[in-house]
Amino acid sequence: MQKDIFVTGMGIISATGINRQETLLALREARTGIAPLRYLDTVHTEFPVGEVKRSNEEMCRMLHIPETEILTRTSLMGMLAVREALEQASLHGKTGLRIALVSGTTVGGMDKSERHYLDYLENDTKNAYIAIHDCGACTEIIADYSGLFSITETISTACSSAANAIITGASLLQDGRTDVAIAGGCECITKFHLNGFNTLMILDRDPCKPFDEHRAGLNLGEGAGYLVLETGESVRKRNVKPLCRLSGYANTSDAFHQTASSPNGEGARLSMLKALEKAQLNPGEIDYINAHGTGTENNDLTEGIAIQRVFGEKTPPVSSTKSFTGHTTSAAGGVEAVISLLALQHNFIPVNLNFSTPMSELSFTPVTKKETFVPLSHVLSNSFGFGGNDTSLIFSKT
Amino acid sequence: MELNISKYTYINQLFASVNGKKLVVTGAPEKGKFLTALYRKLNVEYPKFFKMDTLSKLGFLASELIFENGKQRFIPREDGVIICFNRSSSLETDILFQSSLEPGNFFPSPSVFVYTLPNIVAGEIAIRNKFLGETSFYISEKFNPEQIFSAVDIAFQNNKTNFVLASWVESFELSCEVFMLLVEKKTGKDAIPFSIKCITELFNNEHLYG
Amino acid sequence: MDELILNLKKEIIEVLNLEDVKPEDIIDDAPLFGEGLGLDSIDALELIVLMEKNYGIKLKDPAQGKEVFRSIRVMADYIQTNRTK
Repeated sequence: MQKDIFVTGMGIISATGINRQETLLALREARTGIAPLRYLDTVHTEFPVGEVKRSNEEMCRMLHIPETEILTRTSLMGMLAVREALEQASLHGKTGLRIALVSGTTVGGMDKSERHYLDYLENDTKNAYIAIHDCGACTEIIADYSGLFSITETISTACSSAANAIITGASLLQDGRTDVAIAGGCECITKFHLNGFNTLMILDRDPCKPFDEHRAGLNLGEGAGYLVLETGESVRKRNVKPLCRLSGYANTSDAFHQTASSPNGEGARLSMLKALEKAQLNPGEIDYINAHGTGTENNDLTEGIAIQRVFGEKTPPVSSTKSFTGHTTSAAGGVEAVISLLALQHNFIPVNLNFSTPMSELSFTPVTKKETFVPLSHVLSNSFGFGGNDTSLIFSKT
Repeated sequence: MELNISKYTYINQLFASVNGKKLVVTGAPEKGKFLTALYRKLNVEYPKFFKMDTLSKLGFLASELIFENGKQRFIPREDGVIICFNRSSSLETDILFQSSLEPGNFFPSPSVFVYTLPNIVAGEIAIRNKFLGETSFYISEKFNPEQIFSAVDIAFQNNKTNFVLASWVESFELSCEVFMLLVEKKTGKDAIPFSIKCITELFNNEHLYG
Repeated sequence: MDELILNLKKEIIEVLNLEDVKPEDIIDDAPLFGEGLGLDSIDALELIVLMEKNYGIKLKDPAQGKEVFRSIRVMADYIQTNRTK
């Protein structure tokens, strides 16, 4: 017997804002967070990025932790978003509940490691950073900050990590292995993956143009996004108000190539279809798709084809909010889940910025018109990762 | 639900075994060399093997041993789940990529960068076998039979799942090993009941005493 | 030119880990991509790095690669004309 999974809290930090309120405002006003590089120390200043507009020191102050603490940028952003989510869900102090933290990240502590790499090789002065390098350590640091968690899990499936963390959180609840799950992901920009994406020649030198005929790649972003998930029983017991229901979710494999998606978007098609099936919804009932929409040649074409294969001629409104946040990689599934929920809650559709020319291969164009009120009942969010790892989540009003 | 381990395999840089029986492989006991010798022994035509990092080579070889002679692959199917676990993520390849970012010798390689994601190993297995089902990668402190049991058990919650390929696959510094289990609902003739105790014992038999 | 072609074949075999391919297996005028060597988009990007590293040629657009990597001979011609080292 499948249980209903409710969302009772959410937290977000990204280039568009340091909390839900700022994010909502930026989305409504169609104000992008993508800007020239400011916080990352690199020679690659030609690439615009979606950086969180706070230094590590400023984030430490926001969290009331000493600035001297050995911490990574990824975990700082994670702590802020988790804190916001927990507050909204009224989770604090001794709860008597089993609470799980399921976090997706790939970069982990790479920001510090790349800075101190030569020190590691030559002396022991920066060795404290080695201990917090790995992805698991990042989750532990976030968990320790709030001290509420009895289970921690770290998922690393590239750019679908956070979305898969949300699925894992839901599965833990289904299986009765936890009472509440905080699930999402966090990731900061590093030179390591900026250079990596640059070798793949998929970084746009201008603000990205998802679903545009002349799109020229993605902008890297950073951030964190987490949801508080719980069952109906827990919602009743704790007497909290659900924000919405996680009605459908699915993960599939494209089984085509390490990085490129299959020409007909088979993995993406399957993940959307299976999520719909799980939610017991017809394609026609989806009111908005928050696309993966990275702005690369390959993704937008194959995701677009997959959307057309699932939804036929009646494609629901589609937009990629990566035009606001940049591609927050492992955090994207969490950041975009929160954005999708803000849209659902406030009945509006975030626009797809920088779009001008329709893609010749697709019959639909992304949403560009700002509308103040569009009633939404069900929204679908896609997150696809290298390795052909495709995930779709569906959120429904309660 | 009755779950069984219908086949399991273990590979490190010294030996390979299937269902606890060692294979005869003549190859040097070094990471790359032993794995290449095993690849040659398997007699499969898959040149992409040589492009993989050690983590993916381990996963690929183990899945070949599991599915050798099996009729259940190469046609797209959605009923299989691939779950991998390890401690060091893709750190070995991360360091290799990082070293290509050093000033003076700045030539980052796209094909190395691709393998700086641990879940690529799951992708490689899916690509090879045409498995369109779930794939996942968990990072944990150490080999954790409880976690593996729980993740596999949860994967079978979905009544469309017919098999789960679960593996501990690690390659960093001195460690180089993969322990892979094929877990199925149906009972094979040599099936072993799927339990935390069995996962622990089978792993220890190979990892500690192999 | 023949020497450049042979060197290029050896470099490609090494950098793309074409373990079971010998230089004589790569036909000068055969397409590098598609059939034959089984190369993919990542290999193309790796060839772009090779051109920069060994011959000082920078390709800005992967689409340019499609032209240059039509065959070993086309690639060698291009290198001959544009090399800076």
